[in-house]
Amino acid sequence: MNRRSFLWNYGGGLGGVALAHLMGREALGAGRGRPEFNGGLHHPAKAKRVVQLFMSGAASQCDTFDYKPLLIKKGGETWDPGEKVELFQSNPGAVMPSPWGWKQYGQCGKWVSDLLPHIGECVDDIAFVMSLMAKSNVHGPATFMQNTGFILPGFPSAGSWVSYALGNLTDNLPDFVVMPDPRGMPPNGAANWSAGFLPASHQATMIRAGTPTPIHDLFPPSSASFITKDAERDGLALLNRVNREHLAEHPGDSRLEARIASYEMAARLQLSAPEVLEIRGESEATRKLYGLDNEATADMGRRCLTARRLLERGVRFVQVWSGADNGFPRRNWDSHENLAKDHGDLGMALDKPVAGLLKDLKARGLLDDTVVYWTTEFGRMPCSQGSKGRDHNPFGFTSWFAGGGFKGGVSYGATDEWSYKAVDKPVYCYDVHATLLHLLGIDHKRLSYWHNGIDRRLTDVHGVVIPELLAS
Amino acid sequence: MRLLAALVALPIWVLGQQVSFTKSVRPVLAERCAPCHNDRNTSGKVSLASVAAMTKAGALVAGKPDESLLVKVISGDRPRMPKFGDPLKAEQVDAIRRWIADGAPDDSTAGGPEVWWSLAPLKRPPVPANGAANPVDAFLREKLAAAGLTPSPEADRRTLARRVYYDLVGLPPTGEEMDAFLADRAPDAYEKLVDRLLASPRYGERWARHWFDVIHYGESHGYDKDKPRRNAWPYRDWVIQSLNADMPWVRFVKEQVAGDVLYPDDPRAYVATGFLAAGPWDLVGHQELREGSSDKDNTRLLDRDDVVATVVSTFDSMTAHCARCHDHKFDPIPQQDYYNLQAVFAGVDRVDRPFDDDPAVHRERQALLRRKLEVQRRLQPLLDQVEFASTPEIVTLDSSIQDASLLITHMGEPKTPADVETKRRLEARRVADRNRRQEIVDGLVGPETYAEIRRIEAEFKPIDEEIARLPKPRTVYTAASYFPRAGTFRPSLGPRPVFVLGRGNVRSPGKPAVPGALTCVPSLPARFELKDPSDEGSRRAALADWIGDERNMLTWRSVVNRVWHYHFGAGIVDTPNDFGRMGSKPTHPELLDWLAVWFRDDAHGSLKQLHRLIVTSAAYRQSSRNREDGAKADADNRLLWRQNRTRLDAEAVHDTILQAAGKLDLTMGGPPVELFWFKDDHSPVYDYARFDPDTPGSHRRSIYRFIVRSVPDPFMERLDCPDPSVQAPKRSTTITAIQALAMLNNPFVLKMAEHFAERAGTAEQAVRLALGREATAEERTAYADYAAKYGLANLCRVLFNTNEFLFVD
Repeated sequence: MNRRSFLWNYGGGLGGVALAHLMGREALGAGRGRPEFNGGLHHPAKAKRVVQLFMSGAASQCDTFDYKPLLIKKGGETWDPGEKVELFQSNPGAVMPSPWGWKQYGQCGKWVSDLLPHIGECVDDIAFVMSLMAKSNVHGPATFMQNTGFILPGFPSAGSWVSYALGNLTDNLPDFVVMPDPRGMPPNGAANWSAGFLPASHQATMIRAGTPTPIHDLFPPSSASFITKDAERDGLALLNRVNREHLAEHPGDSRLEARIASYEMAARLQLSAPEVLEIRGESEATRKLYGLDNEATADMGRRCLTARRLLERGVRFVQVWSGADNGFPRRNWDSHENLAKDHGDLGMALDKPVAGLLKDLKARGLLDDTVVYWTTEFGRMPCSQGSKGRDHNPFGFTSWFAGGGFKGGVSYGATDEWSYKAVDKPVYCYDVHATLLHLLGIDHKRLSYWHNGIDRRLTDVHGVVIPELLAS
Repeated sequence: MRLLAALVALPIWVLGQQVSFTKSVRPVLAERCAPCHNDRNTSGKVSLASVAAMTKAGALVAGKPDESLLVKVISGDRPRMPKFGDPLKAEQVDAIRRWIADGAPDDSTAGGPEVWWSLAPLKRPPVPANGAANPVDAFLREKLAAAGLTPSPEADRRTLARRVYYDLVGLPPTGEEMDAFLADRAPDAYEKLVDRLLASPRYGERWARHWFDVIHYGESHGYDKDKPRRNAWPYRDWVIQSLNADMPWVRFVKEQVAGDVLYPDDPRAYVATGFLAAGPWDLVGHQELREGSSDKDNTRLLDRDDVVATVVSTFDSMTAHCARCHDHKFDPIPQQDYYNLQAVFAGVDRVDRPFDDDPAVHRERQALLRRKLEVQRRLQPLLDQVEFASTPEIVTLDSSIQDASLLITHMGEPKTPADVETKRRLEARRVADRNRRQEIVDGLVGPETYAEIRRIEAEFKPIDEEIARLPKPRTVYTAASYFPRAGTFRPSLGPRPVFVLGRGNVRSPGKPAVPGALTCVPSLPARFELKDPSDEGSRRAALADWIGDERNMLTWRSVVNRVWHYHFGAGIVDTPNDFGRMGSKPTHPELLDWLAVWFRDDAHGSLKQLHRLIVTSAAYRQSSRNREDGAKADADNRLLWRQNRTRLDAEAVHDTILQAAGKLDLTMGGPPVELFWFKDDHSPVYDYARFDPDTPGSHRRSIYRFIVRSVPDPFMERLDCPDPSVQAPKRSTTITAIQALAMLNNPFVLKMAEHFAERAGTAEQAVRLALGREATAEERTAYADYAAKYGLANLCRVLFNTNEFLFVD
């Protein structure tokens, strides 16, 4: 039994003292990490916060970061990888070169496709994992896996684990924020950022940036016209008084105190949230950097910029989605039919804002202890599906990291000559998650929660930290 | 934004103590060695499944680690074993070495004299003779006295009434109900109240929700394409009705696992098997993946895993699902047991199934459907010849057909003349391709086969005509082996083969599994004797009998502990789903056993009698006030020196607000209420923000709300309503700023605050309705002043947010 549910379920005795102690710590903004570990839990932390960019629908590795000259050379020929290929919904078509050209970037000379030229400019800050594999060929389970480490629903997402492990850096904002694509939720919906069996307090707060009510229930809805400013102020004061009198008559129950405090924190959130979401004060140069001046990039730009504002104000983990569900007309990366068109639109919308985020974080010194983590649920096949699309490829795909102690300009592992299967240092999300937690000062094997007979971890029973990804 | 931070549990290193086989040695062996060296597969003729087996094989010489083969092969710079993966860690080798040096003591059930508490036979312990009238109190007082504690005095009547109302029916007493109870000065006024509440239809609505937490009931599939399950609710109604009717526990168990088989003429028992379909379901995996692919097999494996985990942890509080990839590391559950349990469910999938309320019609329809199943069984192999016919040209044509379909779908409605022309060309090509494909397939299959298919298919006609004459059936989402195919989701038509999978990998099948249950329950045969193992229903019926057997000690201990958990906020065993070695031990083992035997033999499985026994105990009725001596001796109140104060759960908050507002609609049963804006799509949209809380028909109790998996109701979630994809034997209670905001600003709360104000009229009346008591003089002034200044609705909103409203003393 963990300490939290112990406190909650049995209330009573320990209450007061423990609460005062823990709240005192949190008021200092220290979270649960240990000061001697730079806020880490088990060892010194290099990173304090994370922004995860999730490409919903499966972004192709062989059209973005996994350059294979053989695809160009053999383009249009029958594809023969030398074994039977089991695809999600099609038979393998001909070898399909990327519709985009390729260039080398940076000191490291990383090849990046012309779909993502601005991200290309940042490669010297990026550690690429070129040899990821997924345990499912289906969007739902694979998206769960990349988020929670399991191909089943009901498990906590990485952001929830980090919230559970490290707690908050600020009392004014949530630990874990998610910004879905405005076109809709990804496959699995909000279950992707669920706290699973962890206490509900570790679940993400959804922010729909740029809408009239970006956070559920932050303020009374306009329909509740009976709540005026004065009624609100005096009502909260009355509530506080009544609850304190009630507490005096029911001593020794930390939950009653915690609820009183929760209204104080709610008020702080009401003050800080509108401020953090208001981007009008950002300079023209910054707005341009994120592509806010262009309709195609404005949405992703706004969400990336909002992510930076959240992170610099102490949010631990921000998840930004590119792409909604797998429906039609296409609104995510699931380009079975026409990759040039659909990857083209999404890549265009993504490239400048993400590069802007990397550059902005770096310029502000935030990249040193902020991890930018770009991922997707699986990759796409090097052969065509039909004439213009690509089917799912769980056997090899790319994710990347920047900042927060990750080494820049490296590529870890590799797929075969076709960009079909991970052959050099193949890894599942377990190692990636273990490495991410490592830089946050967390030993992934010691971050666990007892549920239904098993000590559950983000990394299941797997996971090895990848030293090649770490900056010295 | 959390208020209290949790500390991660760190491993406890106990140095210098004797090493436990079950805690420190067996887990290592189970994970790293036993996958190859076990009783069934003795690589190198060495089984490491038990101390006895290791001794027999010579792997182990007690007291002499250096002479033990086991130690030799795992030690050194480059140890011979394990063959796969990293060598064992130094501390693991050290633990094994020290354990052998200590004489290799066997503290497991399998080899030693000690029997794990939950697997020990059930015997009725004597009730301590200490003068307590209720046996519950007699047992509790013994432990309290031993700790130097006394129980707390009885709570005042108002507190007690509010407590028992919430506990049994999930709602507070109305003003009249409270007044009536307070006015009843009869000595058995409380007992009469308990009986009234247990007889109330609200009781089943309250306790069904607890059941749904445990079995993770939901009304959409979950995953991608989270489609609504429009026909799940008849099962929900079955649970409510069965609880209200006080169905004996054995029957409650059996109907849910195999009601369709054991009570074939009872349509209600048929609906009960909705239990098997309660959990999530991967639509894409089942309907879109191709037969024979690894992902398809894995989809089915994990689907059955969910059923096995739910059945065993719900009814028997064991974690059988921990033995999917290797033998259970801590409990005596071999992998074979786990896959035998999978074999029990190998013939069913989750799907809509027709049934009839009229037993005669029901009987007739099910008989006709069984006849159709027999026809389909003969037909299917022939249809498969057509479906799986393949040549290189067919492969090419399939790609071309799919290409055309993909491009047509992607285009949507053509917008330009060029698009129109492209679409026309693609459609023409697709038609030509399909025709050509048909020609080739026809050539491969041959006219005799087609004639045979037509002949068998013709047998459906008279059956279908008979079915058409029956009245329109109802539908329930449940488990079935025969149903109309949807995409690649095809009925099993009988049990699919199940194998023990090496490391749980569908591509590493080992020995075949046979229908059975847990071998660690010594009082019952674990392998089922079935007349016809190909009859999937007989497998489930055998398991239902095994669970419901009076000799299955786990079943009886499990249920009484669950009921106790909900009455006191913590079980006698604080891990209601895990009675194994990694679970908690009972705080009052004698009481648990006494209750289990009493419930089985005296109460004959009547939950209502069990509730009555517990809520009329002095322990239940005592005050929840904190006491210094209790807090000092037993801070977490495991000995129950007072009652536990609880925060209302999400459902109680929702229903109480409706009741206070005078809006609570007590209509029972039927399709669920959708408290969201819905749009069907590839992944349907469930938008709670676009819902008007005054929508007619939406003010029913929360048990009747539609439960979505992918997008749970944010208001309920913020009040700790569990994720419907997770089995939740206990709820957590968190307190957060986001939760405070939901209580302050959620449109539902605010709309109801307005209705509440209209209904109450005055501040005094609002206090009476919300808190079940009279306002104090001070409150009267303060509340009336505030209401006078800003309107009563604002005060009602404040009242909903008070701790007094949200906690039950």
